[in-house]
Amino acid sequence: MFGWNNRRNQLLQEFETHIEIETLENIESGMSPDEARQAARKKFGNVLLAAEESRAIWGGLWLERMLQDVRYAVRSLRGAPAYTATLVCTLVLGLGSVTIMLAIIESILIRPVALPHSEQLVQIYSEDGPDGFSASSHALSYKVIDELQRSTHSFADVSGYNTMVRPVTASDGTRITVLTEVTAEFFPMLGVKAKLGRLIGPADAKAGVVVVSDEFWRERLHADPRAVGSAIKVSGQLRTVIGVMPAGFHAPQGTGESVVYLPVSFHSSGEDDFMIESALTIARLKLGVSGQQALADAGNVFAHADRKSGERYRRLAMRSYRDLVVGDMERPLLTLLGGVGVLLLIACANAANLQIGRAASRMPEMKTRSALGASFGRLLQQLITESILVSLFGAALGGALSYAAIEAVRHAYGKQFPRFDELSVQPVVLVCTGVLAVLVGVIASIAPMLNIRRQTNARFHSKSVTWKSRLPGILVAFQVALTCVLLVISGLFVRTLQSLQNVKLGFDPRGVTTLVLMPEQQNQDPELSREIETRLLRRFETLPGVQSVTMQTEVPFSSYNMVLDGTTEVSGRAFHQGDSAFYSMVSANFVRTSGIRLLKGRNFVADEDASSAMEVLVNEAFLKKYIGGQEPLGASVRFHRNPGETDADLPFIQPMTIIGVVENEIQGADLGAPYQPMVYLDYMQLPKGSLLGAVFSMTAQYAVRSPLAPSVLASELRAAVTKEAPTMVEMNLRSMEDGIAKSLGQRRLALRLVAGFGVIALVLSAVGIYGVLAYSVALRRREIGIRMALGSTRGKAAGLVMRQAGRMALLGLIPGVAGAWAAGYAVRSFLYGVKTFDPAAVGVAGGTLVLVFAAAACLPAMRAVQVDPVETLRAE
Amino acid sequence: MSTRDTDHQLELMQGTLDLLILQTVALGRAHGHAIARSIERRSGEALQVGHGSLYPALQRLLKLGLITAEDGISENNRKARFYRLTAKGRKQLFTEASKWQKFSNAIARILAPVAEENP
Repeated sequence: MFGWNNRRNQLLQEFETHIEIETLENIESGMSPDEARQAARKKFGNVLLAAEESRAIWGGLWLERMLQDVRYAVRSLRGAPAYTATLVCTLVLGLGSVTIMLAIIESILIRPVALPHSEQLVQIYSEDGPDGFSASSHALSYKVIDELQRSTHSFADVSGYNTMVRPVTASDGTRITVLTEVTAEFFPMLGVKAKLGRLIGPADAKAGVVVVSDEFWRERLHADPRAVGSAIKVSGQLRTVIGVMPAGFHAPQGTGESVVYLPVSFHSSGEDDFMIESALTIARLKLGVSGQQALADAGNVFAHADRKSGERYRRLAMRSYRDLVVGDMERPLLTLLGGVGVLLLIACANAANLQIGRAASRMPEMKTRSALGASFGRLLQQLITESILVSLFGAALGGALSYAAIEAVRHAYGKQFPRFDELSVQPVVLVCTGVLAVLVGVIASIAPMLNIRRQTNARFHSKSVTWKSRLPGILVAFQVALTCVLLVISGLFVRTLQSLQNVKLGFDPRGVTTLVLMPEQQNQDPELSREIETRLLRRFETLPGVQSVTMQTEVPFSSYNMVLDGTTEVSGRAFHQGDSAFYSMVSANFVRTSGIRLLKGRNFVADEDASSAMEVLVNEAFLKKYIGGQEPLGASVRFHRNPGETDADLPFIQPMTIIGVVENEIQGADLGAPYQPMVYLDYMQLPKGSLLGAVFSMTAQYAVRSPLAPSVLASELRAAVTKEAPTMVEMNLRSMEDGIAKSLGQRRLALRLVAGFGVIALVLSAVGIYGVLAYSVALRRREIGIRMALGSTRGKAAGLVMRQAGRMALLGLIPGVAGAWAAGYAVRSFLYGVKTFDPAAVGVAGGTLVLVFAAAACLPAMRAVQVDPVETLRAE
Repeated sequence: MSTRDTDHQLELMQGTLDLLILQTVALGRAHGHAIARSIERRSGEALQVGHGSLYPALQRLLKLGLITAEDGISENNRKARFYRLTAKGRKQLFTEASKWQKFSNAIARILAPVAEENP
């Protein structure tokens, strides 16, 4: 190190010369060569000592001392393999879990937001949304976005985008791909540069150009450096690739999927093809402008008198870009981080306890060294070095463990959850773990150090006094409390999952397969799409083994749902601001196919005359909210026209008559979500030329009920599509039950993680209580022996140990249960169908803890039983 | 193990040895063996320096910049390292030597030879 070896060699060479010269002189003065050499050596003295002392002068002695401490620590740890192994295991579990969690958080919460000055980026969205007709409750119209850009002063840039999936054809064929339509300001606002070519700018508004993500470039364009200028087909239209994004750019979704970006194509009205509010908005705040100011500024846009009245009531809201991208993941992940933090605390307490025990057994060594003149500081350095060394070793193994675990999680869940395909352990995470390890090492060695200080300062050698400390017991109680919290929370999650699995779906998923199709040409005439889709419906119905088929714009657990959220007026009830319902287009066989229960009234009748009044089904939630105790059948429902709006602003003006009431069914993909008022419309009855028809024919979702095996049915359906409607592209085909299982995946993963932490905590606590008891028995051998000699029984000796264990467990269980209550309250938003304080979960957790502890206490108790009173007395 | 207590003794020794070395190389460049021999001879063999302990002292003086080292050939044709006083070393030698002189005079006055009580 630092050329020390060279200098040392030079020095030794110099010594050699010195001795040689001395030898020559000795020979000259008449000695025999052997004698001469020996005398010269004697005169020189200890060669190595001289070298060491010279070496000390060159500096870096602290380093040398540290290396010495490390060598010493390694030797002494090797001498106590059981202690070392226990300590390392404890730390590997603690630090490994923390590393896993930190890696997940870094990959999912921090990395996706990594854009230049991302703290200035905000999403502007409409807060109370559904007074009007929008594709998403957060969406704004491009017109509004344009106005925000032009007539506000708080934003450096305002951009809109809209994400959809469309068939994209490259040289490797046609595949469904994520498409993001962006306004010209989008890329300049984010402040990113293309890896190849250029990005979409103002000049590209009407051009047939695309920019592709790095993933798309790698997977679909074979990472061709000359890809810029080549052409791909998006929804059947040829477009030129003008740029490739750099790797790791995942705006705005934050997912690492293949994405194609293209400029929004505006109609003359200033809106896009959807012609409803469909764009999400991201803006960059000007330097020094606060969120509040910007929001007030943006809100003024709606104050103009020429707005539609629906918009005049609009309130805008703003959230950080970070919340937009990672908002849904942030709380669960930080909660889990809290869980591993607890785990690390348990591991740290364990390490402290183990070290207290070891320090006690090394007390004679410490006393001797202190007596020989070692300063307290020097002993401290030695102990902390040893502690940190073990900690870092634990961190290294823990890091390796987390690497393996992260790989496993990525393989298992990468395709299932957004951003999980991005999981990896970055160096920065390992650095964090290293720092934590050093901290743990220092903290865990404080308690033993204090003991040593007390002992070495004691005036007399009190070898035969049973020395007792409360600290280990308190640390174990602390572990018990924390373990109890983790176990109870796992219990709550198990109960939540059970409740969710038993949730009333409201329909019968067995034997139902869903198929999602989309026309290859995005701007295909809606009437044509509708015709093709209907033809396919008829074709599916005739397939052998198929019982019934329906089209549904809203299928439970599908990610291709399109549902209209519309202001709704019910006859005989005064309209209130905010009255709205979801509208799902279905076909005549909906009730039969879905298995939804018809509670009242009748089904749709196929091939009804479109000219008669439109007939709709409503769900229980609708009934509860809008009809109350009145007779629902025959009641009339219509879209509400806000003052200032014309009929043209409504999807259609015809009144709808309720002909039946169906059970609530799951909406969307969250089993725990509350039911919303829902209106089912037969899409065949939609007025011709209605905007709804155009929007909803962009994708077609079929549900097919059949007793056939899913794979057989799937190939039948695919064959029918290929033959009947070759221009339709398959987006998704799966059985309904698969979809349900997938929707539980995220909760199941959370459960697995928390339960895993609970089990690790249990193991750590068991090790902790075992260590403390074993150490205590070793210290109390004399006491136990004397007790026995005085007539105590073996049973009582065992009782002594078990009582001590019981005390520690009890001392921990009481705050543990209280802590579990508080923690249950903290995670209440993740719970479903179970109270924040669940006696059953607490009971099971407590019982498990007591059992495990009893088992852990058994071994030390046995050892206490085996104490031989004769041996003790002989030693006295 | 601590070397707390032995350190103090060493330091006193080192200080003395350092001064002797500086004095020796003040006369011209010399290699390690010559320095040791010279100290031995000039102190009338009263100061027995373990030749090995000379080298840590030389390293210290090098580090302080009081002497420099260069490679050369010894009188009996051996490749050796020669040490030479620097200007800084000369100044240091002057101050230290006068300090030592004062100190030694003071000690000498206190410790004037006294007749032994029990002859």
